[in-house]
Amino acid sequence: MAKVDKSTYDTPSYRPLKVYAFDPSHGRSLGNYMTVNVRYEGVEPGPVGEYLEVIDYDASNDCYYEPVDLNDAAVMLGGGLEPSGSDPRFHQQMVYAVASETIRRFEFALGRKIKWGFRADTKGKRRLRIFPHGMQEANAYYDRDLRALVFGYFPASELDAGANLPGQTVFTCLSHDIIVHETTHALIDGQRIYFLESTGPDSLAFHEAFADIVALFQHFSHKEALLEMIQRTGGLIYRLHVDPEVNPGREGALAQFELSTSNPLVQLARQFGEALGTRAALRSALGSQPNSKDLDKLYEPHDRGAILVAAVFDAFFSIYIRRTRDLMRIARAAGALINPGDIHPDLANRLAGEAAKTAEHFSNICIRALDYCPPVDILFGDFLRALVTADYDLVPADPYGYRAALIEAFRLRGIRPENVTSYSEGALRWCAPEDLKGMPAPPCEGLEFDILRPSTSEQSEKNAKTLINYANKNRDILGLSLNEPIQAHSFHPVHRVGPDGRLKVEVVAELVQQRATPFDPTESGSPRFFFRGGSTLVIDQEPGKEGDVRYAIQKRLGQDDMQNERLIRQRKYQEHIHSGMAQTTYMDEHPLEHLSKSRRARSMTFNLIHRGY
Amino acid sequence: MVTAKKTVSKKAAKKIVVSSLHGDINADTIRVRMYRIGFGDCFLISLPVMKRSGSEDSHYHVLIDCGVHFSGDINTMDKVIGNIAAITGGKIAALIATHSHQDHISGFGRFSEKFSQFDIDEVWLPWCENPADPLALKLQRKHAALAEMLDEHFNAQRTINAPAANTPQRNAAVAAVVNLSGNQKALLLLRSGFDVGAEVRYLGAGEVLRDPAAIEGLTVRVLGPPRDQQFLSKMNPPKDQRYLRLGAGGGVNMDNALRPFPAKWITDTGVENYRGPVLTAAEKEELKEVLADTDLDNLAFALDQVKNNTSLVTLFVFRGKYLLFPGDAQYGNWKWWLDQEEAEDILPRISFLKVAHHGSHNATPKDALERMGEGQLAAMVSTQSVPWQSIPRVPLMRRLSEKATNGVVRSDWLAIDDAPAPLAHTEPPMPKKLPANFRKGAFWYDYLLKLK
Repeated sequence: MAKVDKSTYDTPSYRPLKVYAFDPSHGRSLGNYMTVNVRYEGVEPGPVGEYLEVIDYDASNDCYYEPVDLNDAAVMLGGGLEPSGSDPRFHQQMVYAVASETIRRFEFALGRKIKWGFRADTKGKRRLRIFPHGMQEANAYYDRDLRALVFGYFPASELDAGANLPGQTVFTCLSHDIIVHETTHALIDGQRIYFLESTGPDSLAFHEAFADIVALFQHFSHKEALLEMIQRTGGLIYRLHVDPEVNPGREGALAQFELSTSNPLVQLARQFGEALGTRAALRSALGSQPNSKDLDKLYEPHDRGAILVAAVFDAFFSIYIRRTRDLMRIARAAGALINPGDIHPDLANRLAGEAAKTAEHFSNICIRALDYCPPVDILFGDFLRALVTADYDLVPADPYGYRAALIEAFRLRGIRPENVTSYSEGALRWCAPEDLKGMPAPPCEGLEFDILRPSTSEQSEKNAKTLINYANKNRDILGLSLNEPIQAHSFHPVHRVGPDGRLKVEVVAELVQQRATPFDPTESGSPRFFFRGGSTLVIDQEPGKEGDVRYAIQKRLGQDDMQNERLIRQRKYQEHIHSGMAQTTYMDEHPLEHLSKSRRARSMTFNLIHRGY
Repeated sequence: MVTAKKTVSKKAAKKIVVSSLHGDINADTIRVRMYRIGFGDCFLISLPVMKRSGSEDSHYHVLIDCGVHFSGDINTMDKVIGNIAAITGGKIAALIATHSHQDHISGFGRFSEKFSQFDIDEVWLPWCENPADPLALKLQRKHAALAEMLDEHFNAQRTINAPAANTPQRNAAVAAVVNLSGNQKALLLLRSGFDVGAEVRYLGAGEVLRDPAAIEGLTVRVLGPPRDQQFLSKMNPPKDQRYLRLGAGGGVNMDNALRPFPAKWITDTGVENYRGPVLTAAEKEELKEVLADTDLDNLAFALDQVKNNTSLVTLFVFRGKYLLFPGDAQYGNWKWWLDQEEAEDILPRISFLKVAHHGSHNATPKDALERMGEGQLAAMVSTQSVPWQSIPRVPLMRRLSEKATNGVVRSDWLAIDDAPAPLAHTEPPMPKKLPANFRKGAFWYDYLLKLK
């Protein structure tokens, strides 16, 4: 018999790992145990891989928990450890698997490798640290300064713990949604580092909304849960509540199958919410009825973010309905009843396929739109324009009307983009520089990227110089201020394959400028903050159009005068925020200086206390 | 409106509570007396009685707050209450306790015997203090539990001399928690009307009282605290929050502390076969710092702000003059009223402002102050730089002096033995001569607002 040599085997393409599809409170029902096929990489115990470093240090108890070794034969043979609340090694496995899968989705949609928004550690590695049991606290968050996701654990409410045992330990790191949400915060921060600055009511709300959107769309990739919900809702998967399996009799519901339940697909972090005693999941994809006035009333980041989440899901569900209408008609024509619980398994399968496909499309459109966002000070309206532009660039034809559905959903929620003449698709698409300034920007020549390899550091340096030289020569056309220095914050080639099979290559570059500006122009000696502006450039790399600036997505710095609406708005918002900050009353430091600092500036009103999730 | 007793029969039978006035003001003058009480508030408002009423008394008296912070006490309260008794002849038409912080109500508990000798017609409290209101009760319980937890934790850290226990921020936070404590006796007395038969009223934003406490010619608009959802949501402490917390003696408080896993999973990173990641000592410290202490201090400040926001805010309208007494209301409380249409009308007319919360940063919204002043504004600030040096806030005081063309006076200008003087760089500087219509007393300042 030949001697077995490891190297003769192909490297596997993925590593199967078990996780909870939702969280432990769902038990084994609804396909709650699922396997994630994590892209294969060599890992050390922790797990520690290329992007992630899971460190199970518990600051509340000052101890470490045994790290999981995913390479142990016993673990690998079982396709990962079985889901378990009591084994910390499963918790480590789950955060690693779910965070890795979220990263993969981003890389797939963006068409490039992601990077993190923080510096490398002392060993020169840039890895996101994950503390699955960092502290005893009903919270979880991403912290750039710590380069980490910190997950807390806490006792469930004694009085009203929902599906939990009163007082039982609830682990935020076992909630699939919470892991995706926090990982997404870190991923956005890596693409747009200034989005964590609270420049207006929309900025932090956007961060929250985007993280929720990614987490919610991930639900629709759970085939089993999706099938079950299609059965139970008769295909109407957007319903918040699911009919009982058997309708209760006149006496009311007497047995569990007569109780209606909530629909896990459209809600986030049920266990966490119920453990806090709220009798409900933490948040839902579907808020209230569309109300264009909500934007004027809701300022807390999660509440305001919910408006954006609802708009995106409204569009998603309308497309799902449109894509499945024919199936429903065929089934009805054949005499089938389409009632909850009575759907033919074949039809359910087809509906699930459409829902999963549509969810993936929407998820990709949203993530791809990040590249089309301005570099600073994002508004919900900017995101709509980014969505429309990003999708148009890849799928110009739009046979199912995705973009029209998005536009209509945003309109219904009162999200109005600035400086556009109408809600038409053409008006919403970002403009090329010539449409704004009346003359085209000259091509940006000399950028060098290797399609198959990441850029070398020499290449990157040369490209940065090329970009800055180019921007310096064309400041006005590109929407940049004439005096302040320009930083090329990030620039990367993007490769995408459209539905027509064409490979599209573009360069996306973020140019940022900043100016120290007094918080209060009327107060002499007022402390200053950095008011930022800049442009996101999308530069074509297709042969024949090389170097053409397709879009310059601008937030102008402008002057400190009454015409500068963006600055006026930002000042007003800062004033509003610091008025609500309790600590400013008793500390000598100028209250507004809190805002210009990072983490420790978190404003502390009771409703903002859930600083991360 | 919630009243503890029935009002109808009483009003008719009630004798008019007024008194002869000691001092130098005539029948056409409102007098606001601000006592120098330390870090606290004690204001006596005297409103002239109409001549045609035939009363022998010349003024009605309204007392707003009588309290001092434990760490800012200058031991004048005994004398202050003596002066109130002398001035009013023991008759107080309305006694207002704006909110249950030590620096506003401690006197009612400490000198309860004296207050029980007053003839008090009505006691006004914010609705948040109403024991018959389930919502108010729930909020109070939550806040009390949090305050207790913070107190315990801060004490424990001091005992073990933890680094976080010695920061300026912590000292400020401790003082904020102290302010919440020891108010039970005063509250009990206020709620019982001092057992002298005073009618107790619990008030909330939007109520309008005409000729309250039989003060003829007075209309009181209650501007806060609001009861709307947006306001209430900010009053809610987090549910089941549990922080890194130390119990008495410095040990981790075990009754609520979790050990999430059995000991077999806890691993020693020093052993030879440990191959997982390890944090350096500095990294551990960084993590702990972020997780633990800054947020507890901030929680103390947040709790303090919540209590300040329960302040009963009253606008006195008397023969065309508008006097605003906002207690310690902070932005959240003001906001409800500022959003009402009448604010636009009323703000420019205000002729007297009791500056909220001792002149602190968050208690006078900028856009409110900017719209005041057309009515020839005068203002009084009961303040002191101990225990918090950031109070009163300099830029606010500077702007206030500009807006209040009829003058601003601070209580701590009055020199009193051993009491802290204003800080060197503070605003406004003490003038050689008081502005017109302000008078200095032994331990008080008067503002005389002429009606003609």
